[in-house]
Amino acid sequence: MWMNRHDSVSDEALIEEIRRGDRDAAACLYHRHINRVHRICHRIVSDRSEVADCVQEVWLKVFRSLGRFRREESFVAWLNSIAVNTSTDYWRRRKRHRDRVAIEDAQPESLPSNDPIGGQRLDDMLVHRRIQQVLEQVSVKQRTALILRYLEGMPLPEIARVLGCREGTVRTHIHRCLLFLRAKLAGKRKQ
Amino acid sequence: MTNRYFSLEEFQALFSDRFASQEEMLREYAFFLSVLDQLEVAPVPELSAWEKEEIFRRSWREPSYESSRLWTWFAFLRRPAVTFALGIVLGCVLMSAVTGNRLELVRPAAADQPLTVEHMGYTQAYRGTIIDGLYPQIEDPRIVLEGGDQSAPKRVLYGTINNGEIDVVWNL
Repeated sequence: MWMNRHDSVSDEALIEEIRRGDRDAAACLYHRHINRVHRICHRIVSDRSEVADCVQEVWLKVFRSLGRFRREESFVAWLNSIAVNTSTDYWRRRKRHRDRVAIEDAQPESLPSNDPIGGQRLDDMLVHRRIQQVLEQVSVKQRTALILRYLEGMPLPEIARVLGCREGTVRTHIHRCLLFLRAKLAGKRKQ
Repeated sequence: MTNRYFSLEEFQALFSDRFASQEEMLREYAFFLSVLDQLEVAPVPELSAWEKEEIFRRSWREPSYESSRLWTWFAFLRRPAVTFALGIVLGCVLMSAVTGNRLELVRPAAADQPLTVEHMGYTQAYRGTIIDGLYPQIEDPRIVLEGGDQSAPKRVLYGTINNGEIDVVWNL
């Protein structure tokens, strides 16, 4: 666990010290937010092999552009915005080049199907994979809006700022994404 | 487990007029809730301590004040109004350079001045009351010097007579 003298310092104060070249302050800020950045990247990119690169690119951008960060805005919102935009870029690139992943690739061999607990986990895993596959078919903005709202718990105004659109548009993205999920998963999900 | 962020109120706001009955709406809400729960409970594999350190080592670099100031200027110049104004100024300068004319930012001299000179590339036109006095029989006389830097520039008198009916071009 990362512990140092900066632990009780606010993000804004850390940023001031980072601007003066303090590496420890940068490490503290990084360790404070790395898990959330990683979670956002993982949920949007959804390809483990690329998530670490994506996270690294996010932090490269953060440290490179901290000089442009304005005091009056929230650092977390600014960081979220970089993480989301970098992840959606990765997602778009991946979507262009990836191979289709078959549902059979869910590695079921490690879960014995005659074991009731293992069988339930296998079932959940397949359902989850199916939902992921459907989510990959919707537009990146719809998908990102849904993830940020219901998995990350971001308020609508912040999502709107991150995606560069109005709150009403975010609602429309979420609405369409849910309808698409409903249409594709109808009858395949346990009620 | 139920999704903390997907409240029934938010669901009703999103699908306000879509369902015929309360039961149908609750059924649909339960469906979406179960889908979101599936997504939420899916584990997000954590980065190892080594991976975290490696990412930090590769991404850390001291922010540069110089680049931030440059960026501020760049951001200012990228504003549409500034870009538009700069485009017009640049266009005027280029036009002036191409046509060889100097920018005339002052009003042309009045006709009753003794002598005015108009520069047009390699030619200069002289007009005014002095020229009028030299050629009183010619209307609106002007002497044009052509040839610019040549040792013996060509001088031509232009004007009209008979109320503009006859043009005069006279090599001096």
